[in-house]
Amino acid sequence: MEPRPTPIDGFPTPTSKTQAETEAVLIKHIPDPASTSAPPALLKNAHMQFLVRNLIQGFPTRYISQDASQPWLLFWTVQAFSVLQVGLDPGNKQRVIDKIMTWQHPDGGFGGGPGQAAHLLATYASVCALAIVGKPGPKGGWDQIDREKLYNFFMSLKQKDGSFLVAHHSEVDVRGIYCLLTVATLLDIITPELIEGTASFIASCQTYEGGFASASHPFYSHGGTLLPPPAPRPALGEAHGGYTFCCLASWVLLQPYLAEASTPEPPPQIDLKNLLRWLVNMQGIEIELGGFKGRTNKLVDGCYSWWCGGAFALLEALGVGGIQNADSEEVPIDSGPGAGVWDDVDDGLFNRQALQEYILYAGQHPSGGLRDKPPKNADAYHTLYCLSGLSSAQHHVFPSSVRRQQLFDAWKTTDNPQDGLRKKVFGEILSWAEEEGSSHIVGGKENRLNATHPLTNLTITHTEGIASHFYGQKVPPRVLRAKPTADASAA
Amino acid sequence: MPLPDPDGVPLFAERPEWADVLPLEQYEDVNPIAPIFYTEEYKAATNYFRAIVKAGEKSPRVMELTESVIRQNPAHYSAWQYRYETLTFLLASTTSDSTPKGALPPLLAAELTLMDELAVQFLKTYQVWHHRRLLVSLTKQPSRELALIKRSLEVDSKNYHTWSYRQWLLSSFYGADENGREQDDDDEGETIEAREVWEAELDFVDTMLAQDVRNNSAWHHRFFVVFHSGGTEHEAEKERIFKRELVYAKQSISLAPSNPSAWNYLRGILTHTRTPFATLETFVKPYTVAQKSAGDAEKRDIVDLDNPPPSAEAELPCVQALEFLADIFETQGASEPGKENTEKAVELWKSLANQYDTIRKKYWEYRIREAHHGKEPRT
Repeated sequence: MEPRPTPIDGFPTPTSKTQAETEAVLIKHIPDPASTSAPPALLKNAHMQFLVRNLIQGFPTRYISQDASQPWLLFWTVQAFSVLQVGLDPGNKQRVIDKIMTWQHPDGGFGGGPGQAAHLLATYASVCALAIVGKPGPKGGWDQIDREKLYNFFMSLKQKDGSFLVAHHSEVDVRGIYCLLTVATLLDIITPELIEGTASFIASCQTYEGGFASASHPFYSHGGTLLPPPAPRPALGEAHGGYTFCCLASWVLLQPYLAEASTPEPPPQIDLKNLLRWLVNMQGIEIELGGFKGRTNKLVDGCYSWWCGGAFALLEALGVGGIQNADSEEVPIDSGPGAGVWDDVDDGLFNRQALQEYILYAGQHPSGGLRDKPPKNADAYHTLYCLSGLSSAQHHVFPSSVRRQQLFDAWKTTDNPQDGLRKKVFGEILSWAEEEGSSHIVGGKENRLNATHPLTNLTITHTEGIASHFYGQKVPPRVLRAKPTADASAA
Repeated sequence: MPLPDPDGVPLFAERPEWADVLPLEQYEDVNPIAPIFYTEEYKAATNYFRAIVKAGEKSPRVMELTESVIRQNPAHYSAWQYRYETLTFLLASTTSDSTPKGALPPLLAAELTLMDELAVQFLKTYQVWHHRRLLVSLTKQPSRELALIKRSLEVDSKNYHTWSYRQWLLSSFYGADENGREQDDDDEGETIEAREVWEAELDFVDTMLAQDVRNNSAWHHRFFVVFHSGGTEHEAEKERIFKRELVYAKQSISLAPSNPSAWNYLRGILTHTRTPFATLETFVKPYTVAQKSAGDAEKRDIVDLDNPPPSAEAELPCVQALEFLADIFETQGASEPGKENTEKAVELWKSLANQYDTIRKKYWEYRIREAHHGKEPRT
C-alpha cells in the first residue's frame, strides 16, 4: 500500500506545492518490497572515500563560502570518521592539530581561519576537533589552548541579559551559547559569573510552539529607552530545530549550576510538555520516510536527524522519556543485569526505525557522502549530522545514575574553592552511557555506528579523554553490564 | 600568471595604490591538510585583508577591500567585523560641517545603498542582516527598513534571518511603555508613527497569510505582533483582541484543516490567555469525524462565526483536531473521580497511534501511559 500524502484539503498554497513535489521525489526512494528483500545498507566505504577525498585532496572551490568555517569543515570530517569507527593515523592527526592551532587568536578563542577574528562557533569546532585528534604535551594541541585568554574572550562577549555575542560586533545567537557552554564544560573554565543569567535567557527563547528560536530581545520605546519587565521579551524568529537543540543542550549543561544557585527569584523554567510535542511533530510521516524537518510546515532535511532526533536523548536528562524515568513497574536499566521485567516500553518517543530508513534510503548520495534530501549533492555538514542522527537512532545513550556515582566515588578532591561544583559538572557530563543490548540497527550489524555523546556530539571515549585531562581526574573504567535476560528482552 | 578578474577589475597585486601592502599568505610554511581550492581572486583579496588587519589599518581603501572579500564570500564574518570597525572609525574622524543637518554622512548613506543591494543578493547569510542592524543602530532610521524587508520576503517568504530582523527592528524602535502606551516622546509625530507601524504590521501579516496560510514564519510573526508587542493593559481591549484572533485561527483552520501552523497558533493563544481548550469543543468536533454527506454540506450555508465548519474538500478526520479533542478529554478526566473522559482521550490516542498518525505511535502510547499514571497516586 502506498503511504498517504500530506492532506491538502483541496486548498493548495506554495507550502503544500513544495511539500507535494518533495513527497513525489521521496516516495521513489521507498523500496518496493516485491522486487527487493535486501536490507538497506549504509555505504560505509563510499562515505569513507568521500571523507578521505575532502581531508587529503581538499575541498572544491564552492567551499569558498565556508572559508570562515574551516574549523567546522575539519570537525565535520574527523568526527564523521569517529562515528564510522575509524581513527586517523598519527601523521594525519598531527597535520590536523597543526592546522587547528593556526586558528587560535592572540587574544583568546579560535577563528574561522588564520588571521580571522575569534568566534564562539569556530571555538567549539576547533576544541571538539582537538578532542578527537589532540593529546597532552607539546604539539598535542590540548596544552596549547590558552584557557585564561579563552575565558576572557568569553567574558568579553557577555551581555547583561545573560546572552553572548558570537563574536565582537556580531549577533546574539543561541548556537553561540551552546558552543561556549560545551567548550567551557570540557575545558573546566565555567564559573558562576560566566553563566549568570544565561538560563533565563535560554528560557526566553522558547516560543508558543514549544521549540526554541535563535534569540530573544527586549523592547525599546521609540525614544530609545529600554522597557523594563513586565514589558514583553519576544523570541526573534520561530521555533527551529537547530536552535532548539542548542537551547536544550545548554539547558542541560546549566543544570548543575541551577541546582547550586541560591537566588531569591524562582529559577527559570521551560515548558517540557510543549517542547516534546513540538519535537515529535518535526518527524515527517511515512511518505517522507520519517525524516525530520526543522520548522513547522517546512521540508524534511537529513541534518535534523541530529538536531531534532538527537534532542530526545537530552530530554531524558530532564526526566522526559527513557525507561529510567518511567513511573512504572519496569526495573530501571541501571539496577543491574537481568533483574525484573524487561518491557520494550522504551525504545524512544519518536520513530527510531523510520528515521534510520530516511537516512539509509534518501540521505545517502550513491557516490558517497550524505545529504539533505534527494536529488541534492552530499556535503561535509550533512555527512556528519546524518551519521550522528543515524547513530542516535541506533543507540540509547542516557544519563546513568550508576555511572555518575562511579565518577563521584573516583573524584580526587582538590583545594579548588569550586571543587564541589566541578565534581558535579564532571560527574554529569560523563554520566552518559550507552544502554547495553538496546541497539536497534536497521539493516543489520554491518550498519552499526559508534554511539555519540548527546551533549557534545563527540564519542563518549573522546569526551572522557579531554574532560579527564582538563579536570585532572581519572575516569574509572566502564563496566560492561550484561544484557537483559533472554526471556525478558523478548517483548 | 594570475587570471584576470571576470569583471575586468585587476587583482590587488596589480594595482599601484596597493603596492605598499605586503600580502599575507594564509598558511605560511605549512602544507595544510584539507585545503579549500580557492580562486586566484579570492586568495588575493584575503591575502591583502590579512595584511591590513595585522597592520590595523582603517582607511577608505579598506572599505573597497572588504567589499571585495564579502562579495566573494558573504559569510566572511571577520571581513564584516573589520568593515564595521573601519566605518565607525572613518565616521568619527570625518564629522564634516559640510553634511546638511539631519542628513546622513555620505559614507553611511553609501553603505546603506550597498547593503540594499547585498541584502537581496545574499539573503541567506547571517552577516548581511546583522550588519544592517549595526547600521540602523547608527542611523536610528528604522522606517525605510520595513519596505526593504517586505521586498526580501517576496523573494523568500520563510527566510529566518529576514523575519527575525523584522522582529528585532520592531522591538528595538517601536515598543510601548509599561502603561501600554507608546512612549511619550517630545516628538508627537514619532509617537503616532509607532502606532501606525503596529497597525500596518497586522495588515502585512494578513497579506502574507492570504498568500500562504501554511507559512509558519508569518504565523509566528502574527503572535509576535498581537501578543508580544507591548500590548494593552485594558482588560476589555485584551478580550476584544483575543476574540478577534480566535476567529482568525478558526477561519484559517476551516479553510485548510490539516495545517499544523494554524493549530499551533490556536493552542498558543489559548495557553497565553489561560483559556481552557474545552471552550472549543463544539468547534473542534466536526473536524474529528469523517467528512459528512452532501446533504449535510448544505447546512454549511448557515454561518456560525464561532464555529466555522470544515470546507467541503477537507480531508477528515484531521490529526490535529483529534489531538486537540484528546487534550480536552485528558484535562477533564484528570479532575473527575470516574475515568470516562480519560478513557475517551485514550481511545482517540489509540486511533492516532494505529490509524491516523502512525509515525508518532510511540508518542501517543507515551501519552496514554502518562494519563494513566496521572490518575493513580504515585508511590
